[in-house]
Amino acid sequence: MNALSQPSPLKIKEAKIASSRRSSVFTKSCFFTPNTAAAPSRSDLLIYSRFTAGASATAPERRRMSGAAMATSNVDGTDDRISRIASTIRVIPDFPKPGILFQDITTLLLDPKAFKDTIDLFVERYKDKNINVIAGIEARGFIFGPPIALAIGAKFVPMRKPKKLPGEVISEEYSLEYGTDVMEMHVGAVQPGENAVIVDDLVATGGTLNAAIRLLGRLGVTVVECACVIELKELKGREKLGDNPLFVLVSET
Amino acid sequence: MFAAENGLKGDPRLKAISDAITVVPHFPKPGIMFQDITTLVSNHKVFKHTVEIFVDRYRDMDISVVAGVEARGFMFAPSIALGIGAKFIPLRKPGKLPGEVISEAYELEYGKDRLEMHVGAVKPGERALVIDDLVATGGTLSAAIRLLGELPNLCLRLHIVYDLLLQTYCGYCDSGWLERNGAEVVECACVIGLPELKERRLLNGKPLYVLVEPREL
Repeated sequence: MNALSQPSPLKIKEAKIASSRRSSVFTKSCFFTPNTAAAPSRSDLLIYSRFTAGASATAPERRRMSGAAMATSNVDGTDDRISRIASTIRVIPDFPKPGILFQDITTLLLDPKAFKDTIDLFVERYKDKNINVIAGIEARGFIFGPPIALAIGAKFVPMRKPKKLPGEVISEEYSLEYGTDVMEMHVGAVQPGENAVIVDDLVATGGTLNAAIRLLGRLGVTVVECACVIELKELKGREKLGDNPLFVLVSET
Repeated sequence: MFAAENGLKGDPRLKAISDAITVVPHFPKPGIMFQDITTLVSNHKVFKHTVEIFVDRYRDMDISVVAGVEARGFMFAPSIALGIGAKFIPLRKPGKLPGEVISEAYELEYGKDRLEMHVGAVKPGERALVIDDLVATGGTLSAAIRLLGELPNLCLRLHIVYDLLLQTYCGYCDSGWLERNGAEVVECACVIGLPELKERRLLNGKPLYVLVEPREL
């Protein structure tokens, strides 16, 4: 199927449902950055429709979505929740730099049911599994981590940018595309032998998650799994995590 | 107003919350007694009590928006939003939010900073809360209130008409009063508030609700 052909009628229907729900929340023209060349109605379909077939190097905004990668215990109810969650995520082109398609979860947070479903999916996976620590990565990990921690009875531990945490910290340097950054956590926030899940909104190259894994490992904590809402499969973060398991709700190829 | 004077006098949860805060002297600068809430959020029982107090207060107040101030406000606001069935809106430092934003400047002790919010995240007339971990001068919360905004009535009516025209001409969102989203900020709520605020029940004309005073060393 030619990547430029019209999406099938089913997919158009889903895209329209998504966009009409969203137009009740805010105006379309404010919603999109104005630099898309396509006419508004077509760009709505491109951005909202998560189900168009045929990934193409020239049209990267059309991405195939597969839900709940690595979810080993899918139940039927999961798929409906995941497709709703995926439909609320919006893609912003050329942010923060030209060529990057930014996966914006703020629109997910504007949909109380989708946000609740997101948390529920993680809680269902981790409750009663003896998880003592939910480590959330600044800043979007702070949005998803605490509700999960509260629901499963774990403590929430923030993993922060340098100089934000007072008191005694340990630091870990990690690579960015250009240059390096540093992640810190409190010494004494965790105890050796505790089990942790690391939470962030998105995994790209896996560099940030790896830094968090190393920090927790240095304090004797077992990282049971990393949990993210979105995975960018092209960037091979899963491979970079190696033996460390990764659980995501929405996988972008 | 402080929770102890507003229905929760003697509530043991408030003492537990205060005890769970760690005071770190001379952070980030000499002379500042930093109120560290990381020991609160790592205490599951106390963290749960904190969120429950806010959820119990706001559950029946018809709130549809909970805005949290980056980054420590993010640790509290989403759970409150989920607890009352409202949407969560992050208020962020400049350059973090993608897409179209509005921003407000506010004063720091030395210099200024800015807070940003997505255009169109709230509709005029929605009832909103603003959440942060601590309120000191109220500068940050005041900027948040202005971002969420309450338009004068005439401007609100004009804005609704204008908003329909705005569908195609989004680039016109520049002038001050038209940018304001027109949500009604019902209350600002923080875990910790400086005692000086006891005399000031209102912040920018909006009620302020605080659980505890800063902990002493």
